Amino acid sequence: MSVEADLLTWIDSLIVETLAFSPEEGLPGGARMAALAELCAKISPAAIDLEMMETAACAAALGRQIQTPGPNFSAVLEEQIERLQTLADTELSARLSRQRVAAGGSAELYQDLSMIGDFIGEAREHLEMIEKELLLLEQAPQNPEPIHAIFRSFHTIKGLAGIFNLGSTRDLAHEVETLLDLVRNGALPATPSLVDVVLACADRLGVIVDCLDEDRSGVSVVLPDNGELLERLRNEMMPPDEDVVVSVVAGSGGGTVEVAEVATSKRRGESANAHVKVETSKLDYLVDMVGELVIAQSLVQQDPSVIQLGEPRLGRNLSQLGRITTDLQKIAMSLRVVPIRQTFQRMQRAFRDLVKKSGKLAELELVGEDSELDRSIVEQLADPLMHMIRNSVDHGLEAPGEREKTGKSGTGKVRLVASHQSGNVLIEVSDDGRGLNRAKILKKAIERGLLAEDANPPVDKILELIFEPGFSTADQISDVSGRGVGMDVVKQQIQKLRGRIEIRSEPGVGTTFLLRFPLTLAIIDGLSVKVAGQRYILPLHCVHEIFRPVADSIYRVSGNQEVVLVRERVVPLLRLYQMLGRTPASTDPYDGILIAAEMEGRRYCLLVDELLGKQEVVIKSLGEYLGTMPGVSGAAIMGDGCVGLILDLEGMLSRESFNAAA
Amino acid sequence: MNNMNTQNSDARGGVPSVPGAAKGPSKHLIFSLGKEEFAVPVAKVKEIIGMLEVTPVPHTAEYVRGVINLRGKVVPVIDLRLKLGVPSVEYDERTCIVVVQPEMAKSVFLIGVIVDGVSEVMPVQSSDIEKTESFSHGLISSGYVQGVAKIRGKVKILLDLDCVLSQTDLQQLM
Repeated sequence: MSVEADLLTWIDSLIVETLAFSPEEGLPGGARMAALAELCAKISPAAIDLEMMETAACAAALGRQIQTPGPNFSAVLEEQIERLQTLADTELSARLSRQRVAAGGSAELYQDLSMIGDFIGEAREHLEMIEKELLLLEQAPQNPEPIHAIFRSFHTIKGLAGIFNLGSTRDLAHEVETLLDLVRNGALPATPSLVDVVLACADRLGVIVDCLDEDRSGVSVVLPDNGELLERLRNEMMPPDEDVVVSVVAGSGGGTVEVAEVATSKRRGESANAHVKVETSKLDYLVDMVGELVIAQSLVQQDPSVIQLGEPRLGRNLSQLGRITTDLQKIAMSLRVVPIRQTFQRMQRAFRDLVKKSGKLAELELVGEDSELDRSIVEQLADPLMHMIRNSVDHGLEAPGEREKTGKSGTGKVRLVASHQSGNVLIEVSDDGRGLNRAKILKKAIERGLLAEDANPPVDKILELIFEPGFSTADQISDVSGRGVGMDVVKQQIQKLRGRIEIRSEPGVGTTFLLRFPLTLAIIDGLSVKVAGQRYILPLHCVHEIFRPVADSIYRVSGNQEVVLVRERVVPLLRLYQMLGRTPASTDPYDGILIAAEMEGRRYCLLVDELLGKQEVVIKSLGEYLGTMPGVSGAAIMGDGCVGLILDLEGMLSRESFNAAA
Repeated sequence: MNNMNTQNSDARGGVPSVPGAAKGPSKHLIFSLGKEEFAVPVAKVKEIIGMLEVTPVPHTAEYVRGVINLRGKVVPVIDLRLKLGVPSVEYDERTCIVVVQPEMAKSVFLIGVIVDGVSEVMPVQSSDIEKTESFSHGLISSGYVQGVAKIRGKVKILLDLDCVLSQTDLQQLM
């Protein structure tokens, strides 16, 4: 494809050159004229080579114009170049479909499935960029820099669509391109309504790409009709006052345009350093296999017959193997983490739309976009974060008038902060709105039968009630927030990612949600214990101490709650065999071992039969059939090949505490 | 423990084994529970292994025995007798785990099914199959049975695995 690519590049360069053109330069012999002539001289023969006759003729004619510029040269130049571009696009597409037909394919929609995958991938990347730059443009319409990036992206999508014979898509992209061209030439201002239309077109292109993704055979794809969008685009292109001179070249902005072009291409160059695209499934498989390698390697290293051999050289080689495996594991783990930036940026777009719809004033602050998280967490975080932001904008933030009455600024603030803290990732979603009304929550909980009429739960427990299913204190079901898809869904989504969610709120000041996630979903530091003849793994980060119970340190208090005296603190005792539904050899706690653990800010002592050891394990899910089980966060393949269940203590506890109400 | 890794899914030999397709004979795996013999399409069977150590999972239905390690993959295992409502027996050296891949909407997963023993793979012609209306077999819920095949004088019950393994009553709260 290189000759075609060169051709397109040269035509692009022609455009760039003429942008910075000023009328005085329209004299033969000038440096810029020479550059233009050179480009035409390259384009013409290349086009002939590719059998693009009209393009070649146009380029040749242009070349002649440059040698002997006539009157009104700059207008003619602009026109010719546009014509050249159109011809080149048309003829190139025709050529490609001829090639396909010649190769036995049909001139129909794309044949090559792998290539459409590339189109979809590239198009999506460009659309993401477009959205990001459009938001920047909206916030600072005087800064022209984003326009060039947006223009280029639509241009590329147009080209790609052309190559794949996606006529309607190409046309849409072309219309947007035309509109954007007017903006970047200074003929049209980047008004909010213009940004809206372009965003709508970008969205439509996104929908088209999704349609193509769904059915890659292409034959049965039904693409939406773009008529309405095209109308809107044409409306934008007609300025309200008819006597605006559509200047051919950005005469006044000449200098800035050039610099901006250089700046954007430089920016792109930076991020273009050696990246490869890999299917995530391949990556996941790789990480999985490395995990298995670690286990297999330790099996060999710890094999008694190997140890018995006592061969020093064997020992050294095995150690070396161990070191290599550990390094490999570290790298594999790092493949799984990505910065949270992308998810945060999706929030920006959603936030903008929400705020517009709500009629309030608000701004979104993003902090810590570089924080890295396991890729699967990042992907699945979007949904719950969206929910919470929706709630903040919809219910949390007050209308500007109301805010000013209480001395707050009319513009509400929503913050998304990501940070690392002791092996976990912390994400904070906060707003400075009206805060949660505890009385209202309590009332609703009683109404919904979640609490008894005369219940009087402690203050910090009231807020957590919003996580109960079916709970919603919205007086109206706004169409933005939807039907009470409440915080219970958010909590479940968070817990699925082995995260925790906490809530803090002060009436009149605001609300903060704190999300905590493990750095990686794949590996956990575990404590291996034996309970009723079975081996289980406890997450080490919960464990404070391990000890044998001291004589007479276990009591029973109010009702049936057992407690242990630990360093003069009274801590509830939990018999793990009970929670697991199994019968141990001995139920006498003094025969077993106590593990002092902290879950959700509270301390407990867990009774187990035996302590087996500490080890890092690769977590495997229990699979689709068993799904997410309360109390079990996953399974691990142990050294001896058996499966060990990884216990989710917090999960087990929350079941217990609600059962205790009975 | 024994590991008879008979890759039955490869034994299809070009015969179209699309479930429900009534063209030509489709191969079925025959296994037994007590005196009854059952048949399931070989296309769904991924592996057959001898009984091994199953790790129990708390708070699951009684027929869910637990999970096993299948070459690095955690696979759940159910006791077919208990699932069908038949009393369970002691596992012996004939007991096998048949690893199957049921057809569930949107998800693909493996699940092991404990059976008393596995005997053979045989082609079942659609002409051999009788619908269950004309045949009563009280112990087994009719939803699970697709029909009955009479081959060489013996009756094999055609089990609808997808139905048996649908997860209606999976999690039992303590």
